[in-house]
Amino acid sequence: MRLSTPIALVALLVTGSQVAMPQDPSRFKVGQRFPDLVLPSIDNGRPTSIAAYRGKKVLLHIFASW
Amino acid sequence: MHVPVWHEATKVLWKRGKVQVVGILEEQHPDRARLFMQWKRMDWPLMVDSLNLLEMPEVPVTLGIDEYGIVRLVNPPRKDAGRLEEIFLSKTYEKPSGAALERLTVPDLTRTKALAASGSAAALRAYGNALFLWGGPARLNEATEVYQRALRLEPADGATHFHLGVAYRKRYDSEDRQAGDFQHAVDEWKTALDTDPNQYIWRRRIQQYGPRLDKPYSFYDWVITAREEIRKRGEKPVLLSVEPGGAEFAQPSNGPEISAAEREAPDPKGRIVRDKGKLILVEAAVVPPTKATGLTARVHVEFRPNVRLKAHWNNEAGPLAVWVEPPAGWQTNGHYFSVPNPPEPVSVEPRRLEFELKPPGDVESGVVSIPTYALYYVCEDVNGVCLYRRQDIQLTVRLGGAKN
Repeated sequence: MRLSTPIALVALLVTGSQVAMPQDPSRFKVGQRFPDLVLPSIDNGRPTSIAAYRGKKVLLHIFASW
Repeated sequence: MHVPVWHEATKVLWKRGKVQVVGILEEQHPDRARLFMQWKRMDWPLMVDSLNLLEMPEVPVTLGIDEYGIVRLVNPPRKDAGRLEEIFLSKTYEKPSGAALERLTVPDLTRTKALAASGSAAALRAYGNALFLWGGPARLNEATEVYQRALRLEPADGATHFHLGVAYRKRYDSEDRQAGDFQHAVDEWKTALDTDPNQYIWRRRIQQYGPRLDKPYSFYDWVITAREEIRKRGEKPVLLSVEPGGAEFAQPSNGPEISAAEREAPDPKGRIVRDKGKLILVEAAVVPPTKATGLTARVHVEFRPNVRLKAHWNNEAGPLAVWVEPPAGWQTNGHYFSVPNPPEPVSVEPRRLEFELKPPGDVESGVVSIPTYALYYVCEDVNGVCLYRRQDIQLTVRLGGAKN
């Protein structure tokens, strides 16, 4: 598998494990760390993550178009 | 709508680089969200989470995340959308102790496969997820097999049932579809929901294809308006890989034109020759309600000319017709359904029909076969022999088990 994610702020560490899931994501709380889940970009399917935006403030919408 | 309201209020900040706006989609067909984004002129990056690995119990959710990856805002009220600078951007947050830049963990198929060899359900599930996300269409079969292995170890694992359902539906929408994929997807989603009836995302995935009365609101009726408005702007709407079907619109008239006019059964004695060679491939799925009330089920039937046999619809003859004859006491929105022919003489497009079935009130459980057949005009090749054929459709409704 070719990984060519353009993520610049983080070092790539290729491991076999999925990132840890939040214990109770139904309750995102102030002060909680957002999980560094790696997901495909809708544009090119490449791996990306909210962690790619470290150093910036992020406004994240988790939604569906329905 | 929630997200467009936020976009309007924050787009200037986003354009000026004051904040990074990002979306994560909890949707089976993410390209539909691309159309939505085009319609609303939202152009920030999107990530796809069709499997719901975030384990979201509901959407939409809006979060403010600081420079260190710490959540600082959770679902701020919409009235605060215009105050983002005040409530979030102007604030200085302390770097958490020990919060060095995190290393991003990128799944690797070879390594996740090696870990799955341990045979634990968790490792198998992780490998299945990696295959689904990063293996491409060629690894989708393997993903379904790995999820099945995980479920043999932990049969009550609702999330893996949901993931398997998503994979089945994705394969159904691909050229590598296998018989029964759609029904298997629905069955897996139903099993998942039975393990956790409060999981709204899982419930919505069933409702997307389920009976109309089971939906809290429509799913994709906005697609029609979006395309009209995008074209009026002189733009070309984003193409969808899978067009929404009748169940996904608010009004059934937006699906195939269904004639529910009462008429006599077209082949009551079964005299029309059966399509034994399967010139037309038929796939049927019965989607149950997610609530016990009503018990109406929605039936999806798809017909595809068999490409391997070079079969074509013969559009110069009559339309594809379906006759449904449920047992006494059952209700349906029609016995006879048809799909009109397109203008060209022959074609190979899939044709879909949807209808709903409601059992008698005194029947609460069991498995019921619904006699159903299709009649169609099909040609063996573009210039080949054209035939009139019948195909009996295996339609089975499972009653009961809707505990929530």
